[in-house]
Amino acid sequence: MAASRLMSPGLRWTPFAVLALLESWVAWDLLAVPDRRWITALALPFLANLVFLLLSRGAHRRWARWSGLLALGATYVVSHAFVLGIQVLPALVFVSLLIAQVELRILAERFAPLFLTTITSAQQRQIQLALLRALVRLTIASILAVVIPLLAADLASAGVVPVTTIPTALLLSAALVAVVLILALLPSLESKVEWGQRGVLGTADSSPSEGFRIERKG
Amino acid sequence: MRTPLSSGLAAASMGLLLLGLVLRSWQVLLLALPPMIVLALGSLAPPPRPRIVALRSLSADRTDAGREVDVELVVRNEGPSLDLVEIADVLPREFAVIRGTNHAVVSLEKDGTLRLAYRIRSPVKGDFVLGPVRARSFDPLALGAQDVVLDVRSPLVVAPAMEDLRRAALQPRRTRPWFGQVASRRIGPGTEFWGVREYVAGDEVRRINWKASARLERLFTNEYEGERSGDVVIVVDARRESSVGTEADNPVEHAVRAALGIADRVLATKNRVGLIVYRQVIDWVPLAFGRKQLYRILDHLVHVKPGGEWRVSHVGLVLSRFFPRDCLIVLITPLQDRDALTAVIELAARGYDIAIVSPSALEIERRIRPNTPEDQMAYRILAMERANRVAQLRRVAQVVDWDPATPLALALRRMTAWPRRA
Repeated sequence: MAASRLMSPGLRWTPFAVLALLESWVAWDLLAVPDRRWITALALPFLANLVFLLLSRGAHRRWARWSGLLALGATYVVSHAFVLGIQVLPALVFVSLLIAQVELRILAERFAPLFLTTITSAQQRQIQLALLRALVRLTIASILAVVIPLLAADLASAGVVPVTTIPTALLLSAALVAVVLILALLPSLESKVEWGQRGVLGTADSSPSEGFRIERKG
Repeated sequence: MRTPLSSGLAAASMGLLLLGLVLRSWQVLLLALPPMIVLALGSLAPPPRPRIVALRSLSADRTDAGREVDVELVVRNEGPSLDLVEIADVLPREFAVIRGTNHAVVSLEKDGTLRLAYRIRSPVKGDFVLGPVRARSFDPLALGAQDVVLDVRSPLVVAPAMEDLRRAALQPRRTRPWFGQVASRRIGPGTEFWGVREYVAGDEVRRINWKASARLERLFTNEYEGERSGDVVIVVDARRESSVGTEADNPVEHAVRAALGIADRVLATKNRVGLIVYRQVIDWVPLAFGRKQLYRILDHLVHVKPGGEWRVSHVGLVLSRFFPRDCLIVLITPLQDRDALTAVIELAARGYDIAIVSPSALEIERRIRPNTPEDQMAYRILAMERANRVAQLRRVAQVVDWDPATPLALALRRMTAWPRRA
């Protein structure tokens, strides 16, 4: 029981820890930028990211959370693409961590409240099993998200896959765009079922079994 | 159904891809791959549409406000195995889960079952329906989801809590020619001694006053004060303007509680009770005796919700047409406006015997508002207005000014005789 009590705060704080790590990472990178004008330009999205994330924490606004993460990612990518230069492994780890942070937050929102309620050990086991399964999948996805691009980069730089010519580069880019589009547009076209409305009111009215009534007209 | 995360990943991937092409940087292009890989992994195993059945059982289908009810929901997966499925048993918002949970996220194998056992409680009365059951199957990377709604509904009637008025002396002053427990100030069957008269043939032997007979050398018979029953009509003011405070703590809820307690008490003493409720509609229950009448009244009171903008004087129309004039009217109203005052004076002028139980909206509001100097001043002014109104009403009716935080029996005990003798 004590372990399950610790699960909830643990789940709740993990996404924050990952986010704090990412924020410090970007802040550290900003400190390494030599040009003052670039520092000023990059500090703006970074500060915007902090403001948005604080806003999302205080006002529970989803758009603020998304905007904060977007600003954080943009600060990192722009600073490295234009000033610091991109080192493949840390950059891939950063992007994977950013995705993992979002996934962890979703998992925490789903699972953390369940461990706060008084549930039977059988229910607890079922919920823990589901959480474990989700975490394993997330870990595998994160590892693959780093390893596959590294492998692709290795293969390309070793010349195994010839992408050094303009036609092959264009073909590869077109293929990547097509893959993204297919993945994005694949969704099953099921009608969206309204979810999460807890307040279905009881039928509060109104047909008493016996008796009489006068209804007011107009 | 795709979740916003999948759209976000696709957009990020596309953005990085385009940036990489514009900058002609293979490193930036490479950064487009992680979101794409996560999307691809999510698309490998899209969540199946849940095919589940649910069965809900309740420990009781009728309960009292504040009393707990155990609910058990058994969900069985009759379709393909579900990696992650979120199941929620939707409850009316008036209910609080006291123990257990009505919500879980689990993995369900084919033919696997999930049992959710929880205990709920509603602080307010009402005729509620538990359900439906909502299930959402999603992939572990939260990129897609499939929803189903199972139309499993269970009715649950929550009756208002009853005030304990066993010691309160509530009885009609005017009686009807039926046996009851109200002293009628007429000779008849009863237990209170009334007088002595000369014996006539047919008198019961046990009623003979032997002492008087011995002294006067003639047979005398005791006479008793007849105990009869009367009629009480309870009028509940459930207009919109009477609803001040929270859902559980407002004059209408307290009025319903008081009406039920008074009806129970008056019916227990073998009187007839009727009910008039003015809310969205004016509805009423004709006078009747007994336990069945109490359930009839309870059935009406369960449905009472604040609403409507009737004038109190409209009640007079129903009273004059459907109820006898010699009944006691118990008007339960927070006395929020002067309309009640004029209506009560009119009814009293028509010869009705009236008693007023007034749950104080002012005290309710005082408890939920901050205690600033401005609020204190406002409270004092409103309290004076209310005291003035009550004083005017006391000229024509008996008034019980009731702070709902205290038991009604206590407020009624402060009255000397209820209702007062003419």
